[in-house]
Amino acid sequence: MPDSSSTPKNYLGVPVKRPKVAFFELSSCEGCQLQMLNNESSLLAFLDLVEIVRFREAMSGGGDDYEIALVEGSVTRSDEVERLKIIRAQARLLVALGSCACFGGVNQLKNRFPLDWVKREVYGEHPIDTAPARPLSDFVAVDLKIYGCPVKKEEVERIVTDLVIGKDIAYPDYPVCMECKANGNLCLFELGEPCLGPVTRAGCDAWCPNSRAGCWGCRGPATDANLAQMLAIMDERGFSRETVIDRLECFGGFASQVAALRAAGGHR
Amino acid sequence: MIFKVIDREELGRLFALLAPLGRVIGPVEIARDRRGEHRHGFAEVADFEALCLDYGTTALPAKAYVLPYRERLAAFRLGGQDWEKVPGPDQERPLIFFGLHACDINAFNKLDKVLLGGAYPVPGYAARRREMFVVGSDCQPRPACFCRSMGADTARHGFDLFLTDLGGSYFVEILSSAAFNLVRKIAARDPEEDDHRRYRRRVAEKNTRFTTQVDTTDLTKILDLEFQSEVWQQWGARCLSCGTCANVCPTCYCYTVSEQAGLDLQSARKIKTLYSCNLVDFAAVAGGHNFRPTSHARLKYRYYHKHRGFVEAYEEPLCVGCGRCGESCLAGITVPEVIASVRGGES
Amino acid sequence: MEGRLVLSPSEAGGHRRRTDLAAFEHTCQAEITSIHRLTEQENLYRLQVVDPGERERFTFEPGQFLMLELPGIGEAPFSISSSPSRKGDVELCIRRAGSLTNFLSKVRRGLHVGLRGPFGTSFPMASMAGQNLLLIAGGLGLAPLRSVITYVQENRSHFEEVDILYGAKDPSQLLFTYQYEMWQADDIRLHLTVDSAAGDPSWDGRVGLVTGILAELFAARRGGDFASRTHAVVCGPPVMFKSVCALLTQEEVPMQKMFVSLERRMHCGMGKCCRCNVGSTYTCLSGPVFDYWTVMNLKEAI
Repeated sequence: MPDSSSTPKNYLGVPVKRPKVAFFELSSCEGCQLQMLNNESSLLAFLDLVEIVRFREAMSGGGDDYEIALVEGSVTRSDEVERLKIIRAQARLLVALGSCACFGGVNQLKNRFPLDWVKREVYGEHPIDTAPARPLSDFVAVDLKIYGCPVKKEEVERIVTDLVIGKDIAYPDYPVCMECKANGNLCLFELGEPCLGPVTRAGCDAWCPNSRAGCWGCRGPATDANLAQMLAIMDERGFSRETVIDRLECFGGFASQVAALRAAGGHR
Repeated sequence: MIFKVIDREELGRLFALLAPLGRVIGPVEIARDRRGEHRHGFAEVADFEALCLDYGTTALPAKAYVLPYRERLAAFRLGGQDWEKVPGPDQERPLIFFGLHACDINAFNKLDKVLLGGAYPVPGYAARRREMFVVGSDCQPRPACFCRSMGADTARHGFDLFLTDLGGSYFVEILSSAAFNLVRKIAARDPEEDDHRRYRRRVAEKNTRFTTQVDTTDLTKILDLEFQSEVWQQWGARCLSCGTCANVCPTCYCYTVSEQAGLDLQSARKIKTLYSCNLVDFAAVAGGHNFRPTSHARLKYRYYHKHRGFVEAYEEPLCVGCGRCGESCLAGITVPEVIASVRGGES
Repeated sequence: MEGRLVLSPSEAGGHRRRTDLAAFEHTCQAEITSIHRLTEQENLYRLQVVDPGERERFTFEPGQFLMLELPGIGEAPFSISSSPSRKGDVELCIRRAGSLTNFLSKVRRGLHVGLRGPFGTSFPMASMAGQNLLLIAGGLGLAPLRSVITYVQENRSHFEEVDILYGAKDPSQLLFTYQYEMWQADDIRLHLTVDSAAGDPSWDGRVGLVTGILAELFAARRGGDFASRTHAVVCGPPVMFKSVCALLTQEEVPMQKMFVSLERRMHCGMGKCCRCNVGSTYTCLSGPVFDYWTVMNLKEAI
């Protein structure tokens, strides 16, 4: 076996470049970026894999010379649109990091209400410029999405590793139930809790159900999710349509399904 | 077969004798469900008092201990164009199942046919199976149980000893020399005519309690005949393609293999994960073609494998009638109802 | 029944799981000795088993597949495209169609890959001796068929008339073009066709389906015992082999003399993972080569 510290890097003999990575945040809690700092044991290896040129949660300042931009947050202000366009122009690869960037996230809940009312309610006498919360893909081309609120550190590391070595990025097609059962959980519906696990894309390792909290669909719909049956199950178990819509709407991943429901059912 | 009778108190001593020899896995209460019912699951048990031998079917089967949901098949050390493969982790302590129902014992027996049979026995499974000790225990049928229809209501082999509760004492069937040697170390007596009578009465009484039946007459042919039946579409429309039925099934063993490069780019892992034939990409091939793109095609395949193909290969279904899949299916898809609907207009 | 619990570890000779797993998970290492670009999408990889002893033991029959593994990237089944007389030396014709094959398109010769197998059934070449052969391929189906062709070349005297019927989407997708002359020199007739030649004005060959050639071929040889003395090997997408086999059946070629190779995505190759099941038949054990009668009786095969 050749020396493991040998440089330059390669993977199976295919040359690997250590990419320059920048983290950015638009309207968000920066919780996804914080996730990346959890578990220091893999942090050093991650920092060896990529060169981080900008990461507000962990370093001050930052360069504008990057190839991969991991952008957290939704777009809610016009200056953010401009910033996003500049990032897009610079980045070879623009990654939407987390539910806000992918779908609008919790922020997009405000889109349900009149903007003036939202401004008054949130900022009172000191209103600021704010627009409906939108996902990045409403403004620029997004090359890759990393789902979750927050993202799962292990998944981000896996995806970034695959990006670096040039392997295709794959997500689970199946819903959260698959991981939930593998973890030995009793179904939350059995405990009387609603859960969107049956229609939500897995990859989180059933993070919430593991703690006996029903899924809120932060990762968006699984491939070919059977929403009609999900609704029937909620009805049958006595959860009102409004409860279900609230849940589906929480992170924005089910926006088109909710719109169809509202159109069909006359819900607000 | 050797039969013995032991007093209820002796069971704790049996447990104490077994506990130092491996990981004891047994039924414990895990929750009260929304109806206020006690729900049970298998867990590693250190204390005999934690065992709930008087349990209904567990929500999840015992298979995860023998056939883990996730398992590392191999690790790699990489160096340039060269690499070395190191097969996955070594054997853990022997497993001791304390209180397996007949359906779950039979489930392992069925898994053995595939996983130990043929030209390629599965090593992890084989090692765990080889070193396993099983204390079986009798049960009371629940409404979802149809083990009797599947011929899996009695365990004929696949256990070391089997307990039948006679009230105050246990009727013990001893199948292995290891079990015989253990029972010698506790107070056990030979059964008398009265014990035989009580045992027969207990079994006969249990058999009157099955409420769910599945008609398996000519089922392989009927499934073949009804391949295009519209009922598959109806069940498919309900199916969530979530894989829960496979994960709670004690006999499902399908899997997926994936590989992951290490963050250091000097290592990699090969992972086996149990999969489900109901998942969207189960039969997808490279280039995007999917041989079973619809949920009904996948659900139908599940029934064909379990109730037709396996029967043709092994003269028995790949189903023990434990009812877990039906009870766990949020969409209410149950084996008895699906099979009845496929048989449909025959009567 | 003997006691299964090992009460004293010495009795059992310790736990052997790792050694057993080493056998189950055994990949023999093979070196990519050359990479030959065939088309935009396909490369031909020549692999040689590294260990001399393993190389000697690595034999296969035309139609069999192997599992190719790249650590950390993936493992997938591939039909072997080369001559069965070369031990431990195989060629794989691989299209870029997924994660593993995309990565493979970037690697350099000299790389070690893992091989498991060979697995599955093969085309029964010996039992076809003394008969006519129709070797029919569509698209990437030529990959497994090429192993049959090399066998025929090396044993040409064993067979009567041999025809290759090969169809591709367009002329640029034709595989192994550099070998066509050699095949013909070995008295193997080659009939090519493409679905469309719109993008290639220089194409002066046939445009249309393989079944068109097949129908003409039978029309020209009607009257004798051609059909009853013919074996057919058909490799291609389901829609193609279905129509080809229907035509062959109509021409009264016995179903047991038609062989097809089914494509499925095996994850183990050993009859465990169920990913390749057709109905409930394991393609990796009972296939990938089936006679057409068997395929007709497999639900959802075609």
